Parts: sequence; structure tokens; C-alpha cells
Amino acid sequence: MMEPDAIRALLEAGLNSAQVEVIGDGRHFQARIISPDFENLPLIKRHRMVYDLLQAHIDSDVLHAISMRTLTPAQAAAEQD
Amino acid sequence: MTDIQQSIREQVEGNPVILYMKGSPQFPQCGFSMRAAQALAGCGVEFAYVNVLEDEGIRQGIKDYGNWPTIPQLYVGGELLGGCDIIMEMYESGELKKAVQAATESAE
Repeated sequence: MMEPDAIRALLEAGLNSAQVEVIGDGRHFQARIISPDFENLPLIKRHRMVYDLLQAHIDSDVLHAISMRTLTPAQAAAEQD
Repeated sequence: MTDIQQSIREQVEGNPVILYMKGSPQFPQCGFSMRAAQALAGCGVEFAYVNVLEDEGIRQGIKDYGNWPTIPQLYVGGELLGGCDIIMEMYESGELKKAVQAATESAE
């Protein structure tokens, strides 16, 4: 089992100025992650950055699945319009 | 390189659009694979697929090949484009269709 807050803390520690929302049932999670680190990167590189931060928990299968959206601050602002 | 990695390489390089999934597009065995296959079908190009449930070696081997922890995985033009989230996001933005069409045309 893993708390959504534990995932949020890992992501916030690993990404600059990150705004992270995580929900989940202990093994399956959904995350919405906003960080300027994602600027000019294709989605696959953004997702790899996130997976790298969570690698140990994915490898041990404590974290079984995480569905994510990765946004730059500008993209997040555009979604709120 | 192991035999499994070599056969994955041949599949990925021999097909402009290839989806590694659980089940088949007709009978998907996982919701994520189903959504990925449906999005791809919605792009109107032919695509190859591999049912990883039929081959335990490929099921693990594709995660190593793509350095990607989950299935489905979509390869376009020999490169990993992404997993289910990326496929769906690019489908909704129209980028998926552009990418698979471009790869299919350049392979003709």
C-alpha cells in the first residue's frame, strides 16, 4: 500500500515548482502534475521523468499502476480558461 | 542481445505502427489495452499488434526493450511513442493520427 500523499511528496521533491494532485486506492493512482520542467518535452519524456522518480516503488510493485497527465504551467492555465 | 530482444527489434522495425497489448484489438484483455487499440483503430490506419499474454518472454522483454514499465506500448516508426495515457492524450489532440499516418506513408 502507498498513500497518494507519499507519491505527491516524491514528485514534488523531484520536480521544480511542481503542483501535484494524486488520488488512488493504495496501488492504482491517478496524478495531475504541473511543472515548468516539462517545457519543450514530448509526453514520453515527461512521463519518463515521473516514472524515474517512482521507479523503486514500481519495481517492487507497491505502486502497481499510475495514470498521469503532465502539464506545463502554461498548459494548465489554458485548461482553466 | 537476447533472442527475445532481437525478435522484438525485428517486430518494431518491421512495422511502422505496432501495439504491444494484452489480448487482441477484437478481444482485449485489459481496459488500458482496449482503449489504446480503439484509439489506434480510430486513426484509420492499419496497425500490427502483439498479444503479450501469448508470450511471457515478450511480456517482460518489451518492458526492458522500451525501458517502460507498463503495457500497452505503442511503437511508431521504430520508436516508442508511449503508453495508454500518451496514446489517449495524443488521440484527443489529433497528434496520434498525424504520427501514425506519417509513419505509415514513409514505410510505403
